[in-house]
Amino acid sequence: MNGLLLGLALVAAVNPPRTRTGLPETTTGRARLPVLLLGSGIALAVVAGLAWWSGPLLDALDVSPETFRIAAGLVAGIAGLRSIIRTSPGAEPELPGLRSAVWPVAFPRLVAPEVVALAITAGSEDGVTGTVAAAAVAFAALAALGPLRRGAVTDGALRWAGAVLGMVLVVIGAVLMIDGVREV
Amino acid sequence: MRRRLSIHLVAWVVGIAVIRVGVVPPEVCGPDADAPAVAASITGAVDWIVDNQFESGRYTYGYDATTDEVNPAYNPARHGGVTMSLYQTALWFDEGALGAADRGLAYVLDEIVERDGWLAWRPAGQDIPVGANALLLAGLTYRRELTGDPLHDDLMRGIAGFLVAQQQPDGSVFAYYDPRVDEVRPVYGLFATGEASWALARMERLFPGEGWGEAASATLTYMATERDRVEGRLTRLPDHWAAYTLSEMDPADVTEVQREYARDLAGFFGIRLRFEAQRRGTGLNLLLRWYPGPPAGVGTAGEGMAALWRLALRDPGLSDLVPAMEERILCTAGFSIDRQVAGGAASAYPRPELADGAWFYRGYTQMDGQQHVLSTMLGAWQVLEERTG
Repeated sequence: MNGLLLGLALVAAVNPPRTRTGLPETTTGRARLPVLLLGSGIALAVVAGLAWWSGPLLDALDVSPETFRIAAGLVAGIAGLRSIIRTSPGAEPELPGLRSAVWPVAFPRLVAPEVVALAITAGSEDGVTGTVAAAAVAFAALAALGPLRRGAVTDGALRWAGAVLGMVLVVIGAVLMIDGVREV
Repeated sequence: MRRRLSIHLVAWVVGIAVIRVGVVPPEVCGPDADAPAVAASITGAVDWIVDNQFESGRYTYGYDATTDEVNPAYNPARHGGVTMSLYQTALWFDEGALGAADRGLAYVLDEIVERDGWLAWRPAGQDIPVGANALLLAGLTYRRELTGDPLHDDLMRGIAGFLVAQQQPDGSVFAYYDPRVDEVRPVYGLFATGEASWALARMERLFPGEGWGEAASATLTYMATERDRVEGRLTRLPDHWAAYTLSEMDPADVTEVQREYARDLAGFFGIRLRFEAQRRGTGLNLLLRWYPGPPAGVGTAGEGMAALWRLALRDPGLSDLVPAMEERILCTAGFSIDRQVAGGAASAYPRPELADGAWFYRGYTQMDGQQHVLSTMLGAWQVLEERTG
């Protein structure tokens, strides 16, 4: 993947607008920023770890990076479809205090199957730095949406934007699958 | 909280299991394809061909171990192909294969016919096939390269002349010539076009400046650009003979269109071989991946990849593919070693001499199965030689 596609893939997988609608919030309707930043940090560490271990992991599984790209594309495509159909993630219970950075922010919101699959495939192909940088862009975009106050209009806009990113993710998934088939 | 955690956990486990079983089962390459193992496999395959060759030079066509019956059929393209593989073996691995290859050549020499400035093998009672003649010519070029013996130079130029006579202005090649009415039959062959271009490319290497290379390149460009549409295919033909043609090219003469074609072909062979490595032929894997593939099909992908690897080694424009190509070739060699009847396993067959060294598909083995996997193993041998300098 080139840098632009990698960045777009991670942004579409994290899907900041859609994810924003499912974050722990203050009474004013804004995301709890410390929780969001901590959760993003945890997720970034997971992405970095997966990218770092992608080679040995795929070796241990006896799967070539090219073949895994097909699986990553499939997972991304399904996740994209889900984002189009369900424009907001389901409600999750929250752990109290800062621990809500772990649940539901890092898990299951950010470290979702499509993010995991992309982290592994990007890590095996583009290395840790590129993968982490792309994920950081995606999490930064989410953080930028954090202060946005939820309301009828903003919710509608977030859902629409989330669905569009879902479509982007479907296309990226298809590109990855084709790429995985055509690679040596 | 616990309930939601359980739901997510179950979804993850089920999702991973489905992906693992259905999309990315392990690609198992079998035992290490090291030099002794590859050498033993090559020797076993050659022994199967040679031990079951008739006095006339004809090869045993096929053997069904489930019914203990030898297939009495025969096919000129397969005769040419096996003879070529034996010459290839003699040049790249062991000169000992030369004798059997020469017997295979002798089988056709009585059936050489001459027309307007060209020579060709006409199997008794049949039209003159481009594919069989091209493979025979390719084999003769290996023989010439190995021995330096000019004995068959006129025959080689004559057959090359036949191939050029079958070539059309757009680079396509008609697959047959009807000697009864002395006319080209305007039909395409699935692989004859690639076989013709490859043989002509080989001729260019041996006899540069005689125009064979230009003819080969014209057909190669046709295959890269128009063939599939003109010949009515919806998808690109993964043509290992086109890969062989590319492998003979001087990288300086390879056009960007041809180079892209090489990448496409490498991709086709790559997914074929990765998919093949996923096949176990048992349990759920049998339902999802079916039986390990026919040796000829697997072998064509393997030898095609090996041919492109030979080009990629010399062509900076393709050098990025070399590591993955080597991985595929050695993986294919590994699972092919695993699938070959060897090491006393033949004694379990009704006729061990027809099983030893062979690759079977669901109880049946055929000469082209041995041919194509043999050429793959020779490619693996070259990869190992390249690695050890």
